[in-house]
Amino acid sequence: MSIIKSVNLVHKFSVTDDNDNIIEENSALDGVNIDVAEGQFIAILGHNGSGKSTFARHINALLTPDEGTLYVAGMDTKDESKLWEIRQNAGMVFQNPDNQIIATMVEEDVGFGPENLGVPTKEIWERVDKALSAVGMTEYRHHSPTKLSGGQKQRVAIAGVVAMRPKCIILDEPTAMLDPNGRKEVIKTVHELNKQEKVTVILITHYMNEVIDADKVFVMDKGKVVMEGTPSEVFAHVEELKSLGLDVPQVTEIAYRLNEKGISMGQCVLDIDEFKRKYKNATGHDIKNIGDEPDLNEDKTNKADRKLVLEAKNLKYVYEEGTANEKGALDDVSLDIYEGEFLGIIGHTGSGKSTLIQHLNGLMKADSGEIYFNGENIYDKEFSLPFLRKHVGLVFQYPEHQLFESTVFEDVCFGPKNLGLSKEETTEAAKKALAQVGLNEKYYEKSPFELSGGEKRRVAIAGVLAMNPEVLILDEPTAGLDPKGRDDILNQLKILQKERNIAIVLVSHSMEDVARFADRLVVMNGGKKLYDGGCREVFSHYMELEKIGLAAPQVTYLMADTGKTVMTVEEAVELL
Amino acid sequence: MIRDITIGQYYQADSVVHRLDPRVKLMATLVYIISLFVADSILGYAIATVFLIVSVKLSKVPVSYVLRGLKSLIFILVFSASFIVLFSKGDNMLAKFWIFTISVEGIFNAIEMVFRLMLLLVGSSIMTFTTTPTDIADGLEKAFGPLKKIKVPVHEMSMMISIAFRFIPILIEETDKIMKAQIARGADFETGGIIKKAKGLIPLLVPLIISSIKRALDLATAMEARCYRGGEGRTKMKPLTYKEIDHNAYMILIFYVVIIIGSNMLMNDVLGFSVMKFFV
Repeated sequence: MSIIKSVNLVHKFSVTDDNDNIIEENSALDGVNIDVAEGQFIAILGHNGSGKSTFARHINALLTPDEGTLYVAGMDTKDESKLWEIRQNAGMVFQNPDNQIIATMVEEDVGFGPENLGVPTKEIWERVDKALSAVGMTEYRHHSPTKLSGGQKQRVAIAGVVAMRPKCIILDEPTAMLDPNGRKEVIKTVHELNKQEKVTVILITHYMNEVIDADKVFVMDKGKVVMEGTPSEVFAHVEELKSLGLDVPQVTEIAYRLNEKGISMGQCVLDIDEFKRKYKNATGHDIKNIGDEPDLNEDKTNKADRKLVLEAKNLKYVYEEGTANEKGALDDVSLDIYEGEFLGIIGHTGSGKSTLIQHLNGLMKADSGEIYFNGENIYDKEFSLPFLRKHVGLVFQYPEHQLFESTVFEDVCFGPKNLGLSKEETTEAAKKALAQVGLNEKYYEKSPFELSGGEKRRVAIAGVLAMNPEVLILDEPTAGLDPKGRDDILNQLKILQKERNIAIVLVSHSMEDVARFADRLVVMNGGKKLYDGGCREVFSHYMELEKIGLAAPQVTYLMADTGKTVMTVEEAVELL
Repeated sequence: MIRDITIGQYYQADSVVHRLDPRVKLMATLVYIISLFVADSILGYAIATVFLIVSVKLSKVPVSYVLRGLKSLIFILVFSASFIVLFSKGDNMLAKFWIFTISVEGIFNAIEMVFRLMLLLVGSSIMTFTTTPTDIADGLEKAFGPLKKIKVPVHEMSMMISIAFRFIPILIEETDKIMKAQIARGADFETGGIIKKAKGLIPLLVPLIISSIKRALDLATAMEARCYRGGEGRTKMKPLTYKEIDHNAYMILIFYVVIIIGSNMLMNDVLGFSVMKFFV
């Protein structure tokens, strides 16, 4: 039986001028036909702005169709008398974990939905108990949500929906703001709900590896469903997905490229074991028996010929010293940054990486240890911190949240102006910075708030770049972006590093990204520096990385049998 | 820096004070604040202090944590104390220059005022440390429940308070983040005159307001999606009912009021002089 059925669903939104005249009409949804059977696990893919979130809001009757019809558990969403029944049956989990938790204690938040439904007190408690245990958050029931990790908050949000006993749960990019561990937690929880409680799940995401276990995948673009089928049917169209601004898992891409090279890997490969099996069938030998040719590049971490720009020595920092919440954030960390290098810093949330980078431009002061910038101790009384901040630029996570001026251009000028540059110099610096992040003159007079997520982020990066730093540190610059937005930013950074010969420090959760772009890699764990070396060298410790909850890129695992540390799809294709 | 503000935050522990009905705690806080203005003698302050120390101990909130909240308000305390010292006139002048006078009375007044403020702040923070904002809101909703009859939106107001509390730590963190981000872009929040400082706040306030509006919209959507439609027909997961412990707490409170008033009468009327006269 179908639980959700949309028939030619259309949703329009109009842009009006100051006099409320409609100047433009766009269709966020343009004739969507989706049919979901009860108990299925459905994934909806699409880049930012493809209409997938709008569709999700229709299922929950937060929006109603302009044309066409949408049935949820047999009820028409336009029927206002069924509104609350529809919302109860189609629960929704949103992207930002902070903005959907209402209460200040976990169990009270889970009880919020049942309270609204008018469920008797005794039954609320039963439902809350059950919902919390279904998402594995029972031991946190008396905690305050602010103290939980992102993944835990999303599980609380899921429990809040489960407690309403819905037939169907819609998750709108629930993992976009989480780190890899949080992502795994949430996806595992959702799968369990689907299998054990038989709840229909609709997962909206742009992480491809979250999709491979779905029963059915829909791909949306410009308000239309452009592809649908099982994951292996959809992922067989590698080129098409890429042209839609999406991505495929690394093994899938390698298999696809091998097909092109004449090694027949079949229609679509989704996991490593399947890959190995098909590879053996096609070539007659195991992956581990491939030849030694060609040789992989050695790590290029030749430091001798590069200037040492920033040198941190034995940094120690403790949060909330002397209280119950005391925790060490940095424990004897030393780090060198050389001119013009691309350094990756990885580690999961709480590993101390954010604390470390805030020390590097003097926003935080170490309890002990020293930092030298071009040989000068930044903790000296005479040393000017504004001078340091000009030369060591720091782009925070979600930097678009710091935009405030009325035009893009003025916003980018903020930094140089603060440095006391003349008007001409400021204008020139801003123009150069905007050009280098790929934004042309068309954008200068626009308001930063009317831009897309990826564009806003580039404006924010330009704002720091305009100060002309020697070291540019970025804290997860790709968080929350779709695959295309992510690649655009990273490619731009690589170009910057070459053009300006500045050191780029990329803090990231994504092993694939650092493997593709960084020359050198630092791994942080529990406030300590665990590894510091060439990328390939660090990833050769993938077993140890896994023990601390990190992992190497998927391709490294695929190729582990060969005894080589392979880091990118290109290398793997060449070797096979 | 800004994260040190602990006032208004719940501290999780399992204590008698935590288990009390929020209405009791609201009433006790109110009574305590009034008592600080009634108690006008050393004995009165001593009783109020002892009462507070016992409550802090019972609440199992670490003393250092309680005092940290005061730390962020030291400036206000020092400022108002010096104001009183410099401007209050008294019979026993110690020094006089320009428009300022320092007198023994002024100093005593200042000490008394600072002490009173500290008791007041700690006293009210005990309530917020031991009561979740939802409970505070519930307590207020129930205590003011009768006002619903004259169309006062009691439920909506209590929901607003509870949400405000929920977002305090989030917004504090966000302010901290935006501030750091702008400092990294060379912004200066520290130096300059009032006008320059006020102008300097724009890069902080604009992003903060924009993000607050976005959060508010998100939250409203999330609440609607979870079938929130006002107080009508809503049930409670934790309905408020008085238990024995609450009755006892009320008795203790009454007892406290009686001895505060008693001490006041004893010091002022029976002995015929106030603390200050005693010292002067």
